[in-house]
Amino acid sequence: MLVVKKLEVCVNGKKIVEDVNLSVRAGELHVIIGPNGSGKSTLLSAIMGLPRVNVCNGSIVFEGSDITNTPSYERAKMGIALAYQNPPSIRGVKFSEIAKNLIKRCGCSDYTIMSKVLRTDEFLGRDLFVGFSGGERKRAELYLVLLQNPKIALLDEPDSGVDIESLNLIADAINLLIKRGSSVVLVTHSGSILSKLRRVDRTHIMLDGRIAYSGLVDEVLPLISKYGFRKSAEILGKILSGE
Amino acid sequence: MVSDLKEELIKALKKPSTFGPDIDLSDYGLEDPKIYDRLEVSEELTKIISRIGLENEQLNLNYVQVDESAMYDALGRSLRKYNTRILPLRKALDDFTYVKDLMWRLVRPDLDKYTAANYLYGNELGYFIYVPPNTKVSIPIYSCLAITSNNKMQLAHNLIYVDEGSEAHVVTGCLVPHGVKNSLHIGISEFYVKRNARLTFTMIHAWSEGVHVRPRTGVDVDVGGEYVNYYVTYSPVASLQTYPVIRLGAGSKASSSSVIAGSGYGVYDVGTKIILGGDHSTAEIVSKVITKDSSEVNARSDITAEAVGRGHVECLGLLLSQKSKISSIPSLTSKKPGATLSHEAAIGVIAQEELEYLMSKGFKEDEAKSIVTRGFIDINVKNIPPTVELEIDRVLDLIAKSAAST
Repeated sequence: MLVVKKLEVCVNGKKIVEDVNLSVRAGELHVIIGPNGSGKSTLLSAIMGLPRVNVCNGSIVFEGSDITNTPSYERAKMGIALAYQNPPSIRGVKFSEIAKNLIKRCGCSDYTIMSKVLRTDEFLGRDLFVGFSGGERKRAELYLVLLQNPKIALLDEPDSGVDIESLNLIADAINLLIKRGSSVVLVTHSGSILSKLRRVDRTHIMLDGRIAYSGLVDEVLPLISKYGFRKSAEILGKILSGE
Repeated sequence: MVSDLKEELIKALKKPSTFGPDIDLSDYGLEDPKIYDRLEVSEELTKIISRIGLENEQLNLNYVQVDESAMYDALGRSLRKYNTRILPLRKALDDFTYVKDLMWRLVRPDLDKYTAANYLYGNELGYFIYVPPNTKVSIPIYSCLAITSNNKMQLAHNLIYVDEGSEAHVVTGCLVPHGVKNSLHIGISEFYVKRNARLTFTMIHAWSEGVHVRPRTGVDVDVGGEYVNYYVTYSPVASLQTYPVIRLGAGSKASSSSVIAGSGYGVYDVGTKIILGGDHSTAEIVSKVITKDSSEVNARSDITAEAVGRGHVECLGLLLSQKSKISSIPSLTSKKPGATLSHEAAIGVIAQEELEYLMSKGFKEDEAKSIVTRGFIDINVKNIPPTVELEIDRVLDLIAKSAAST
């Protein structure tokens, strides 16, 4: 479904992502885990086609089409959706207005279920992300992604800065996405949400702009909690190469 | 007219306004007035009126003035059950002796050349609205002033008197069809909001490139009264300059909200002054300005405290083109210890981050711009009737769509 080949991404002329290969099949859930500043968000921004990042090398192929130079709104229409880590506050624009627009455009019929799962009634009438708490912001953004009926959802740290109650709601929503057949690429630096997910197909450790290791969540997470990101990637790499 | 005053006003015909470009009045001719006691809105006028958000089914107009011809429903059908009258000022002067005493009390005739011209040459067209005491007129009162001729001066004088304990919602649209090249509109408005009364006044301006507009407005809000003003101007003009002055009595309040969408080569100098004249009066001025093309907007706001009250000014501007210009000029003056006045002002451009975000949700760039602009110009004006709100929404939607096309 999504194939990223030898991707290099620059922001303001500085290379942030280097030589990244990633292949996500339909219905799979991939987790990208890594420390702050390792290039996780930049990678998702590049896959979404945000103008703030610049793909300087490599390609992004979605359902067989090269979308490396496709504008973000076209990618959204093709079925790619991004949940921002920090969506911007937009005064005067009602959250409900954007939600309604997406429901209409994407033909989402079960939005009431999603609204219940993420408890969006609390902020439907408010301006988009204006004065939202951390948890509300994440839930609202995830709701908009769900409304897009995405073939693939790119979730940028939906678990950061939220309380345990919101974390459970967010995990429920991601499980709903998977149940509906969406592929998911989930970026996290804490991994706190992973135990609540129905399944994780592949876990990638990202360090210094590169994917340093790809494997199973059960082998990656215990090592990260014991040794940290960098050393875990080294250990796992050595195991993989038979050293 | 006392000859001294006449002489003074003839002199005042050369007095430019403090603000805005000066206009040579001799460029414009005057028509003879006509008054029709039936409202017959032609198909052409219906089309023109749709520019201010009024659609066919809502054309329940109470007063229409096209150039120097006034039309009104002499039987006053829709307002009869409220004992409320709307009629041309000239007719009101004939019918009610007290009307004369209400004229030129809130706007000085020698203020500038425009008021002087209206005083000297005006035909007392414009409307007079009277709402008797303790009457809540729940339906909006609609009026419309249009200019259809070139090289003409349209003079109007509007008086609204909302008596004690009453409430009224007045909506006025001022417009010209596209193609009117060179005209001048001078409108004098004097509004009396008596003790514990309430007036919401919505004005929608849709002029065109060749029109100069000089409204002059004075509002007097008596003890415990409330005046809510909502002003939208959204089409190109040659120039528009207005600076309404609202005076508040004790315990009264006023809020003035403006959406100024500058376009073309238009010069807009739009302001509001509110005087806290009585203790515990409160005032709020909000202006949202967007500019495109080569337009220039001066947004002035002034709250002056002559008594212990509260006032807040908010002036926000959004530049949508390289060649346009916005100046925000908030002013606060306190002459009374204990008065609390504040202001905030900001001018910027559409945040790239906001556009990028909306585009990632599948909106094209122009759609995203339109959404952000629509959000920017949204003002939460309380207690405006839902039908009026709908019309304003339609106009604001138009503004946002047009802004996105820059």
